[in-house]
Amino acid sequence: MAYLLQRLLTEAVARHPQRPAIASNGSLLTYQELDQLSNKVARALLRQGVAPGDRVGVLAPKSVPAIAGIYGVLKTGACYVPLDPKAPAQRLSYVLQDSSANLIVTDEASTSQAVDLVGTAPEPRGVVVVPSSARSEGSGQLDIAVAGGAVILSGSAVAAERAEPLAEERAIETDLAYILYTSGSTGTPKGVMISHRNSLTFAEWAADAAGLSDEDRVCSPAPLHFDLSVFDIFATCRAGACVAVLPEGAATFPVSIAQWLEQERVSAWYSVPSVLTLLACYGSLGKFDLSQLRTVIFAGEVFPPKHLARLMEELPHPRYLNWYGPTETNVCTAFEVRPGQAEAGPAPIGKACANTEVFAVTSDGRLVTQPGETGELYVRGPSLMRGYWGQPAKTREVLVQHPFRPEYDELVYRTGDLVSVDPAGDYSYVGRRDSMVKIRGYRVELGEIEAALYRHPAIREAAVLPVPDELLGSRLRAVVIADDADKLVRQSVLDHCRQWLPSYMVPDVLEFRDALPRTSTGKVDRVGLARE
Amino acid sequence: METVINEYISQELIRDPGLLPLADETSLLESGILDSLSLLQLVVFLEERFGIIVGDADLLPENFASVNTICAYLRAREPEKQAARG
Repeated sequence: MAYLLQRLLTEAVARHPQRPAIASNGSLLTYQELDQLSNKVARALLRQGVAPGDRVGVLAPKSVPAIAGIYGVLKTGACYVPLDPKAPAQRLSYVLQDSSANLIVTDEASTSQAVDLVGTAPEPRGVVVVPSSARSEGSGQLDIAVAGGAVILSGSAVAAERAEPLAEERAIETDLAYILYTSGSTGTPKGVMISHRNSLTFAEWAADAAGLSDEDRVCSPAPLHFDLSVFDIFATCRAGACVAVLPEGAATFPVSIAQWLEQERVSAWYSVPSVLTLLACYGSLGKFDLSQLRTVIFAGEVFPPKHLARLMEELPHPRYLNWYGPTETNVCTAFEVRPGQAEAGPAPIGKACANTEVFAVTSDGRLVTQPGETGELYVRGPSLMRGYWGQPAKTREVLVQHPFRPEYDELVYRTGDLVSVDPAGDYSYVGRRDSMVKIRGYRVELGEIEAALYRHPAIREAAVLPVPDELLGSRLRAVVIADDADKLVRQSVLDHCRQWLPSYMVPDVLEFRDALPRTSTGKVDRVGLARE
Repeated sequence: METVINEYISQELIRDPGLLPLADETSLLESGILDSLSLLQLVVFLEERFGIIVGDADLLPENFASVNTICAYLRAREPEKQAARG
């Protein structure tokens, strides 16, 4: 059994080196080629001085260079920190500094962005550019450029590295594999630390639960910094199947996605419900032959029942799986939606996955056992994160002693999600204990958006509220109190937000007011605001 | 029509101030202005503002490539709108 994520790749290569690992932009990369390319990346990183335990940024869209880069980082014993090329520079720079990463792995297209970004690290070390094909010829001589103290290893320099595996493993299963940054309520993102064991627990369960085999072609449109991407990168590899990379251009139009699914014969799909809603409503699914699609998995937010029902009606043959789990726990519960069940109401999040225990605790501290009771969901098991990077106090708020088992050494995770249980033992999501919302599956802390608004010099007060949206779950409405409100233009506030926040966190609606309504205790009256 | 659509896209959909001002022939797809979410916002706007229904068969890259192609698409829809009224 693999005990490190990169062993999944080694084992897949040993089983079938010539099978396709990645289908991207019309070309195929075999498992052997992926393995060799990632060995070259690992050697290039070693040349840059990477050590076990280091954090290495990966700045690239999901693609051959990104996936080879990830395995390359892992093979050195370092952990990877995904950096979204579309995120604002300020936010990326924060992530780089917070994780004290001083090396970035990138692709040809993002090289200049990576060079600028690494320059903001405290002690910039370098950038490693992964060539887009395993067949790229190395230049033979080392192609090194130096910019502001950082060494840049070009694609041809990386291609010239030796393709043999490193002599030994440089990590153990409790070492970190990656850190995923997610929205933080106090204004800055927080890094969720996931070890090899945490991630493998999920990848192995997921490959089995989705019934993946080496015949499958697996697609998830989720970017690398979103934990859904762990499925298509690692569970696919565990099955020896092929990752099909959805081209960016095709992702915009539902019909183009449907056409691409047919053309690539995608057999397993994993995404947030909103993408599937768009496919169901605008994808002209009846016009395409999607008979290859066997498994449709969704996670990240509640799938509106009427859209799920429509999707299942248009595409009756695949299995439909609802997976649940915060980034901190990986997927921890699952439910299979059977034909005819979707109309009945939101699909349950189901029962605990293999090797995992879940339970719910009422607000007065009792275990939820009866249908009709509501409580906060707790999770126990080997998939739980190691903690938040550099934030032990925050970690202690959520990784806590088992409330009913003081003798356990093992901590449990408090999700903050309120659930109920049905007579069959399936849990259902009811709501949140705090002010976190989901926008297209992304976790959004309203406090982080408010903190960004407060950074604007003219803004005195701000409150951000979620507005339910039929098609997309939630949209964001910001109510702002500003000095000189007549002079403050909407565009300047939005531009300001875009410097600090990823696009899904920028408010959709902006309202200027003279004052915020208050409750009798002087707090912002969010309930009153939401009712308007 | 061009002005109305250009203004809507400039004010509501463009996330990167570096893309302003927006030319009517600029590719909304290559520049990354339209993604699945902003495309949908635009469709809702067009449906409300111009009183049409954009069917899924019309939701194609060629119709939404630029402000100009959106206007051409809307103009092509004019006759059927009148037919529906008449």
